[in-house]
Amino acid sequence: MKQPLQDHICEERLFESIFKKHSKNLHNFLYYKFGEHLNPKDKVQEAFIKLWQNCSKVSPDKAKSFLFTTANNLMLNAVAHQNVVLKYEKRPQKTATIESPEFLLEEKEYHEKLQKALSNLTDAQRVAFLMNRVEGKRFKEIAELLNISTKAVEKRIYGALKKLREDIKGI
Amino acid sequence: MNKEELIKKWFDNNLSLEEQKAFEQLDNSSDLIKLNNALHSFKASEYSINSEYSHLKSELDSVKIKTNRWFYTVLKIAAVLALLLSAYYYTTTLDTEIQTKIAEQTIISLPDASEVNLNVNSFLAFNEHKWEKARVVNLKGEAFFKVAKGKKFDVVTKHGKVTVLGTQFNIIQRNDFFEVTCFEGLVAVTHSENRIELSPGNSFRWIDGEMIANDKVLATQPSWLRGESSYNNVNLKHILSELENYYKIKINAENIDTSRLFTGSFTHKNLDLALKSVTIPLNLSYSKTGAIVVLKRE
Repeated sequence: MKQPLQDHICEERLFESIFKKHSKNLHNFLYYKFGEHLNPKDKVQEAFIKLWQNCSKVSPDKAKSFLFTTANNLMLNAVAHQNVVLKYEKRPQKTATIESPEFLLEEKEYHEKLQKALSNLTDAQRVAFLMNRVEGKRFKEIAELLNISTKAVEKRIYGALKKLREDIKGI
Repeated sequence: MNKEELIKKWFDNNLSLEEQKAFEQLDNSSDLIKLNNALHSFKASEYSINSEYSHLKSELDSVKIKTNRWFYTVLKIAAVLALLLSAYYYTTTLDTEIQTKIAEQTIISLPDASEVNLNVNSFLAFNEHKWEKARVVNLKGEAFFKVAKGKKFDVVTKHGKVTVLGTQFNIIQRNDFFEVTCFEGLVAVTHSENRIELSPGNSFRWIDGEMIANDKVLATQPSWLRGESSYNNVNLKHILSELENYYKIKINAENIDTSRLFTGSFTHKNLDLALKSVTIPLNLSYSKTGAIVVLKRE
């Protein structure tokens, strides 16, 4: 068992390394869980400021859960839970260089359905599912991030898939 | 490798190149791939760790770090406890003190059933907290004690210690005058290494360094409890200072001999009557201006 070298993280270099390690994951977690309109970037900043204020009380190995809990609470304070609508961006589809109007319409419809279906997932399912599919994270990485077992991650992902299939016929 | 395992591996982003190909051959993989591609348009917005960190760093400088670690809290609690403890110790070990003014008498109940009548211009102190261990009172002035039966009871004065076991007695300790009168029981007086035991009706007197064993006293209580002071062969000097204790006056006796002895009594309730009681038997006269009384020979 590795012993933590320090019992607090007030040292700036250590704090910076914690930021580099966790800030992006924390941001994506907030983004997929709560959507974009609640400014996940600001909440990440706030959570790290809170961590710095309490740096003398938080040991390095507790920093991650401190950040996730704090940021999650900040979000919950900001909103009486609304339906999460994820913004989707129009991206050039590599397969469709020449598209028929029918194809484009079909594509648009599909995206709208998917958007609605995603917002109907539970927070836990959506976070696990999108981290896995969009961020390309493996079950184990997600499990570590969310402090749950890999089995639970799998269950959430398959649950999400099942629900998406029900909502969008033809997946 | 079966289909389900392949799909699971695909979800876990853990397919080898060959397996990837096998997966693409599956009949329902095209749906999954379509979904997967579509999902990528929901990717979280760009997050630049470095620019976010420099943004954070500019704010951190103005943030105060909370340093109240656990031992500061413990320290605070300890300080409060210490304060309370010392306050408790101070108040419980503090002596109870009673001081009477001129012409003021009072009755004090001690922690047991004992009672003290404290005469005018006198001081009594005792410690309630230690009473169980030792019954000790300090006295300056005059007091009459009714002591409940029990352990040793000590009265400490400047001129000596009076020890009893349960009795009634009177003590006068003023300037160079010290008198102990026993009314009941047995009283031991320790005075400059001499120990004298007094039986009821006896008194011990010490004036200006001279010890006098007194006549019998017939009364059952000191006369001052009845609003009158009686004396038997006491220096006029002492009588006059006693008068000043009972009445708010100043007595000028420059022109007379104050070492003469006085036997008699005076009341506490009427100054003129009291002055007459003292002066007439000694063939003296007095004149009073305000609070000043001047004594003259007839």
